[in-house]
Order: sequence, then C-alpha cells, then structure tokens
Amino acid sequence: MSGASGFVPQGPLGRAMHHFEETGIAVILGSMTLITFVNVVLRKAFNSGLLWGLEVVSILFAWLVLFGMSYAVKVTAHLGVDALINVLPKERKKPFALVAVTCCLAYALLLMKGAWDYFANFANLPTTTGRIIPTGFEDMRPQDFKGYKETDVVPFPEWARGPLENWLLLEGDPSFENLPVVFGYLIVPVGAALLLYRLIQATGQILRDERDSLIVSHEAEEAVAEARAELENK
Amino acid sequence: MDVFLLFGMVIAFLVVGVPIAISLGLSSILFLLMFSNSSLASIAQSLYNAMADHYTLLAIPFFILASSFMSTGGVAKRIVRFSIACVGHLRGGLAIAGVFACMIFAALSGSSPATVVAIGTIVIAAMREVGYTKEFAAGVICNAGTLGILIPPSIVMVVYASTVDVSVGRMFLAGVIPGLLAGVMLMIAIYVIATIKNMPKGEFQGWGEIWSSFREAFWGLMLIAIIMLGIYGTPWFVWDEDGFRLIWSKAFFTPTEAAAVASVYAFLVATFVYRDMGPLKADARAQSLSAAVVDADMPRPKSLFAAPWALVTALWHEDTRKTLFEAGKLTVTLMFIIANALILKHVLTDEQVPQNIASAMLDAGLGPITFLIVVNVILLIGGQFMEPSGLLVIVAPLVFPIAIELGIDPIHLGIIMVVNMEIGMITPPVGLNLFVTSGVAGMPMMAVVRAALPFLAVLFVFLILVTYVPAISIWLPTLLMGPEVIIR
Repeated sequence: MSGASGFVPQGPLGRAMHHFEETGIAVILGSMTLITFVNVVLRKAFNSGLLWGLEVVSILFAWLVLFGMSYAVKVTAHLGVDALINVLPKERKKPFALVAVTCCLAYALLLMKGAWDYFANFANLPTTTGRIIPTGFEDMRPQDFKGYKETDVVPFPEWARGPLENWLLLEGDPSFENLPVVFGYLIVPVGAALLLYRLIQATGQILRDERDSLIVSHEAEEAVAEARAELENK
Repeated sequence: MDVFLLFGMVIAFLVVGVPIAISLGLSSILFLLMFSNSSLASIAQSLYNAMADHYTLLAIPFFILASSFMSTGGVAKRIVRFSIACVGHLRGGLAIAGVFACMIFAALSGSSPATVVAIGTIVIAAMREVGYTKEFAAGVICNAGTLGILIPPSIVMVVYASTVDVSVGRMFLAGVIPGLLAGVMLMIAIYVIATIKNMPKGEFQGWGEIWSSFREAFWGLMLIAIIMLGIYGTPWFVWDEDGFRLIWSKAFFTPTEAAAVASVYAFLVATFVYRDMGPLKADARAQSLSAAVVDADMPRPKSLFAAPWALVTALWHEDTRKTLFEAGKLTVTLMFIIANALILKHVLTDEQVPQNIASAMLDAGLGPITFLIVVNVILLIGGQFMEPSGLLVIVAPLVFPIAIELGIDPIHLGIIMVVNMEIGMITPPVGLNLFVTSGVAGMPMMAVVRAALPFLAVLFVFLILVTYVPAISIWLPTLLMGPEVIIR
C-alpha cells in the first residue's frame, strides 16, 4: 500500500523538533493516564480525589489531538481511502496528490481563521473581521476589555499569580480564583498554525516528487512490513 | 437536495486522497458557510470540545495505550501457546488455535489489523511448518482477525456509543455473545474442512501444558478480567444480619476509568512481569549471540531485585516513551477523524437530514427489514475502503435516528454495524484485512481473497443471524444491566 513512510528527520533542527513532537505526544498521553489512574485509586482506596483531575485530563486530551494532527501530516499517518490512487500508475498520482493537498490547505486556512477568532475572544485580543476571508482586525479600545472566563475547578498556579495577573488583568479587577480557560484554548490556534505549516511543507514535497500521498489506509501499515520481514526470515 | 451535495463532497474528497478527517471537516465547513450563518470560530470551538467535552471518548486513548503495552511480541506468543495447548490436538487444530488466539487477542486489543499482524505473524509461520498450505493459513487469520472489533473492549464500539449517546458498557456486553458465536462458527467450519481434506492434527500435550501455558498467559488474560469485572462488577460474598450471601457487587469504574487502570496494569505487566520491554528486558545482544550458539541457554530478563531502581527508571525508559508515543499517534489520527465527524453530525442534526430521510422511508412503506438491508449494503461497501471507526462516525449519525423511528434497538443496531464492517474488511475486491493479510503473508491479493472465501460465507450467515435475531446482541446487556431506556 502507499504511504507507509519511514520518516527520517533531516538536520539538527529537524531532529530536535521531531524528538520534541514525539516526546510531547508521549508525555501528554502519559500524564492523562497517570492522573486518571491516581484519581481512581484515591477515590476507591482513600475516599478522596483530585477535584481538578477530570478537567485537566480533558484539556490534555484536546492538546494531544490538536498538537498531534500536524505531526501526523509530517509522517503521513492520517487515515484515508487509497483504493483509487493505488491503482494509478506512479506518474499519474501527482495531480491527485496536488488536488488533495489543496483541499487540505483550504481546510487549514479556514480553521486558522476560526481558531484565532475563537481564541481571541477569550484572550482579550482582537478577532478578525470578515466571515470567510479575514479582512483585518476589529478595533479594540480599552473599554472593549472582554474579561477572562475561568475553568470550573482547575486551580490557579499560585507561584505564577503575580506576573500573570499583572499581565492579564486591569487595575482593580478581582484576582483569579481558577485558571482562565484561555490557557487550554491556546492549543487551538497553535495547532491550526502547525497544521498549516506542515501542509505547506507537504505541498513542496509533492511538487518536488518527494512524496506522492497524504494518507495511509490503516493504522498498522508500518507493522505489516515488519511482520512480513519477520515471517520471511523464519 | 443539499444533503447529496454534502455527501458528494465527502466522497469526492476521499477519492482523490484527502485524509478522512479533513474530507469530513472541509465538507461540513463549506456546507455551513454556504447554507447557514455559523461562524468559523464556532467550528474551531466544536473541534476543541470534541475532546474536552466528551467524557466517553476519553476511553479511546486509554484502550489504545493498554493494547499497545499488550501488543509486544511476548504476549501474543504466550496466548498462541495457550491456544495450541487447549485445541491444538483437534483435526485442523493449529488453525482452530489460531482463531482461538485471535479471539483472546481481540479481547486485549481493539483493532483488527493489529490482531492480524500480532497473531498472524506467529500462527501463519507455525501452520506452514506442520504442513498447512500458506493459503489456508492466510484465509483463517484474515477472517479471525476481524473479531478484533467485535469482541470487547472495542474502540469501534466506544466510537459508536459516543456518536449516538448509548452506554459503552452496554455495547461491550452486547458484543460478547456475537463475538463468541462468530469465533465458534469459524472453528466449526475449519474443523469440517480439515476433516474433509484430512489436514494435520497436533498431539495432545497434556493438562500440564495447558496449566503451565495458562500460567504464562495469565497476566495478559487478567487484563480482560480487570476491564470486564471493573465495568460490570463482580460476584462478592457479604456477611450481614441476613447471613452469609453471594451478591453482585456494583461496578468499580466507568469504562473510561477501567481503560486507564488497564493501561497502568498493562504497563506494569509488560515491564515488570513479562519484561519484554523496559529496563529489565533481556539484553538483545546476548540474545542473538546465545541463540546462535545454544538455544537452551537463552538469556533471562533481569530480576527486579538485581535492579530495584528500575521501578522508577521504567517510567521514562525509551521503550515506555516509544509505546506511549505510538499509542498517542494512533489516538491522534482516530480522534482527529472523530472530532471532524462530530462537526458533520452537527450539520446533519441542524438540517434535520435523518428525520427527513426517515419520514420519506416511512411514507414509501419501507419497514425495518428493508432498512436493515440498506444499512447492510452501505456498510459492506464502505467497509471495504475505509478504516472502521472512520466509516462508523459518518454512517451512524445518519442511520441512527431512522432506526429509532423504525423501532430498532440502538444496541442491536450498533452490533449490526460492527459486524457489517467486520465483513466489509474481508469482502473482495478491496477489503482492508485482505490487504493487511496479503502484506503479512507476502501473498498476492487474489490468492488471499480465494483463501478467505469459504470463511467469508460463514461470516455472512453470522451477519444474517445477528441482523434478524436481536436477542443474540441484547439478551446479555438486558440481563445484567436491566432493560434499556430509549429516548426518541
């Protein structure tokens, strides 16, 4: 099947980024598991629990997926339907790949605008004007201060209270009780921007004939090749 | 009809090779921009909330993680050994053991291709050694591997349950009897074929081998017990004023929590009990050296007492990081699809598409049976091209409201959909499991298709049974969890 790329990062920066992305994904999933597990143990054995456990795990879950979606573009891990493009001869694949990546770019651009507007509303930043194509930023005067929505139960980190409140709050605002939701929402524009960046890279690779598709047809494609090699050695 | 435009876009994007997730997301966004006044910000919000607001979906990363820890080669080998000890002495025993091993492994992992890869690698090699043809071996594993999505815990079932808001626990229970039934039907078919063709049979190795292989596989099998008993509760003894009684204690965890506990358990077993990975793993260099010299002198994994610090270092050991990362990557690709499918679901709900189709069907006088046939056909075709979770999130929101209108049980519908996709995966010309098996066995597609056909017929009979006998699916959940409340 197509796709199954043994992705090898190039250059010191590429390798560092690759390591950072993989470790990031591992650490987020690891923390989600540990927090949920510890919460179960606390509830069952000690009749207590971490009140903020579920909310933090939910935020981490969103971070995992929105951070990882660009990585999956980079290593060609997104699932797709390759029944048609597989029967094409190699030289006919390129136009299809270009159409596909154009659709993906359109998605990423639309998502980027949506992501910024969504984030900006909770971060006291100006949203973009225009419904589909951003035409500029809305005016934000000091009296347009939108305030911060807080999470339900995630406590505010006390060690960072001083600088954070100085930065975010106006004179005379009540101080934060819980962590503002904007810290969780941050991943939406960041993830969308990374997705856009990886898709632009992928476009370049397709134009230079370094890759011929964006998809794999199932999650075990790499494992299949390994299994076959093992079976033939026996 | 607007809805044809919507699904036309989805299919067109899919065919040219746009990832499933982006095909769903882009079609829905374009549709919303054209026909409603939703803002792009609200779409970004639903993408974020797909993860942050859906507690049931949180079970998916944990189940994937547990099965990643359990998919290390060692566990599959132990399960195969136990299966051969149990049924290997029958006519066609190794093939039957292969099915049995796939059933057990399916209960540890939630994915069909993963089951084919893990069990297939071992069993196909073993079957050829004792004189089965490669074709027969591939046909057996290709079919049995599809049980991965039917026998709980199953990721596809979690996806179904959260897309249409039914209980994950019920779905899992509903999969138990159909899963066992499908396995047994396959085994009987193999036994009949093997007797006619006079295929090899192994020797009964005695109860000692069954016991010792069971002890070896025990830690892996315990995972199933933790998940199932954790979700449904266990028999328990109490001693109170009424005397000594046997009661059914209530559930320990939600399915999500059970999955998290299972991953931690699987990590502990893989690292500290089986020691197939992590700091206590046997030295790879020593392994290859000694394997070349004397087989009997295999290097032993290190003892925890020799390296007690491993208790801590295992947490950030390279193998742990790699397993966490692999599970994370799979979670990302599946959840990205599901998150985008939830946007599509919003579009469908807003446009009242399923309701319109349902009333059109009812007006045309179509009953539940015709409807189920239509669902069967759609899923059989779709299942050939697409990974099951992806297909399910597209089809489920569309057919579910219609099914409810027609009085079909939601749990029963879920099982029908899962079984359909199972069969889609091995239906020629392009079933996904056929590809995987031809890849693993190094055989041309058509050879695998021919090899799989007799068993495909068996699964077709099974599909008809499951579709028209609801009791197979809903008897067990109703028995254990009481009758279900259906909200229209």
